[in-house]
Amino acid sequence: MTGQTLVKAVITAAAFLTLAPMSSLADELSGEALYGLACAACHNPGDQVDHRVGPPLGNLNQRQAGSVEGYEYSAALGASTIRWNQAELTGWILDSDQRVPGSRMVYNNQLTITEIQRLATWLLAKQAESKPY
Amino acid sequence: MHQFSRRRFIQSLAAMSSLAVTPVRGQVSGRVVVVGAGLSGLNAALHLEHLGCDVTVLEARDRVGGRVYTLDHVAGHPEGGGNIFGGSYGRVMHTAQQLGVALRKPPRGLPSDFYVRGQIIKASEWPEAQANRLPDDWRDLLPSRLQGRLQPSNPLMATRNWLDPALNTADQSALDGMRALGFPEEAIRLVGVNNSYGNRMADTSLLSLYRVRAEFARLTGSQLSFTEAEMGNQRLPEAMAAALKGQVRLNTPVRRVSQDQDRVSLVLDNGESIEADALVMTAPLPALSRIEWPMPTERRRLIESVEYHKVLQAHLVVEAPYWEKRGQGGSWWTDGQLGRIFVRPIPGTERFNLTVWINGDECDALDAMPKADCQAEIMKQFYALVPDAKGAVSVGDVVRWSTDPYAGGVWSLWRPGQAAKVHAALRAPLGRAFFAGEHSAVSYRGMEGAMESGERAALEVARMLS
Repeated sequence: MTGQTLVKAVITAAAFLTLAPMSSLADELSGEALYGLACAACHNPGDQVDHRVGPPLGNLNQRQAGSVEGYEYSAALGASTIRWNQAELTGWILDSDQRVPGSRMVYNNQLTITEIQRLATWLLAKQAESKPY
Repeated sequence: MHQFSRRRFIQSLAAMSSLAVTPVRGQVSGRVVVVGAGLSGLNAALHLEHLGCDVTVLEARDRVGGRVYTLDHVAGHPEGGGNIFGGSYGRVMHTAQQLGVALRKPPRGLPSDFYVRGQIIKASEWPEAQANRLPDDWRDLLPSRLQGRLQPSNPLMATRNWLDPALNTADQSALDGMRALGFPEEAIRLVGVNNSYGNRMADTSLLSLYRVRAEFARLTGSQLSFTEAEMGNQRLPEAMAAALKGQVRLNTPVRRVSQDQDRVSLVLDNGESIEADALVMTAPLPALSRIEWPMPTERRRLIESVEYHKVLQAHLVVEAPYWEKRGQGGSWWTDGQLGRIFVRPIPGTERFNLTVWINGDECDALDAMPKADCQAEIMKQFYALVPDAKGAVSVGDVVRWSTDPYAGGVWSLWRPGQAAKVHAALRAPLGRAFFAGEHSAVSYRGMEGAMESGERAALEVARMLS
């Protein structure tokens, strides 16, 4: 390895570390692990409706709430003006019934606020995936 | 930089970048024992294995599934336990899909006639029937539909409201609550005879009845269609058990649980000891109360304070539709000891499954009898109601959940106002022990509740072991 290659490797590694949430360095459950424990049974990580009871969660960042084609949303969510971002998603996961009364997600949140934020960050950074979770 | 130190530097970079990837597997490690191979325990086990734990499941019975129990020894493999997947049962349906358990729309049940105050009544004749003692503005409603009159006063339209302390403080018995709402006494009596959410109306929580109605009111569109596993619902827990890498040990009841700061220890009925970093306890509360376990007195008192719903079923196989010659539907709703009788065709055959479904305190006398006598008594009453069935039916099995030492009933019941006081306390971790089972679920009841609770317990264990 030349000195130049080594410098590139250092920069690449530094970039990785910067992007990595601090949680990866501590004993916390990752966004992906939290998705598996709290979301995946009802929401796929792609952008197509499948057998699951909730809408897909791929390409979620800035998506208009209630807008995935082919998914039958509640009238309440369909009429909402939410665009999914960190704050909106955190509030929704925390208490969807309170955030949009009349919405239909039957979910009792068990995550801590920091876990929700980590999960929301991970979800919003995620592009639609075609492989099943 | 020397070759050696450069290599080490590169190795450390690689180690750092692998941290950045945060893999799911390997993130959590430790030995976990799950007690109970029902849906809650198996779902917790699958999640924990996926996260990297070493999981062993201990099951007291000779089969997995717990209160999901398909009677494979009876034609048509009827369900002795959890019998239908609601359209919103996301975890159940996704797990079935992932594991290749085929689902189907259940065969359509046969229409019901009514047997009230000793009179046989067709549904269409109910409004004018002599046995219909309801006042004018109620008498058009079939006995099975009377509870629907609760919906306009239903305060529950959100997932967690049923645990709301204020609503629980205001909660009262179905008997008092329905009287206060203006339900006629006869309507309350008819709701009470086949009430699935209490063993008697005097201590059935009105909020529990509202909760069930709120769940149905929230369903729309595709969620209104129910499913079942094509070959029997027990195929789902079987497939979940088969998907585990760790052992599922059958015929392995737990006698004693103890723990210290570092580990939890179990002693099995066979004398064997097992140690683990964490325990997921999914036994229904009546079964849990029989395990020796040093725990705070108040916690034990709460466990023993929860009553379970009594259900007794006789499963019959019908060879020929004897009801046709009298123009009857086949199924029955009765205000007598037989409760309800559900009949449905066995797909691909000329035969039918028939289930006599008795619930609440009506089960007591039958539960006290030896099984053979219980079966004989049910059949005596059944033939008295439908003499034409003689020679056309055979008894497949009788299932008694209240007398089952590993169940103690079909599901947990909350007395008026009890849920807000005890539910959270009953599912709170005790040191390295975590609790799951339908009684500990919040969003759902039944099978989806069990799955939900397993997911939550896995999260709690994963936090501790990560």
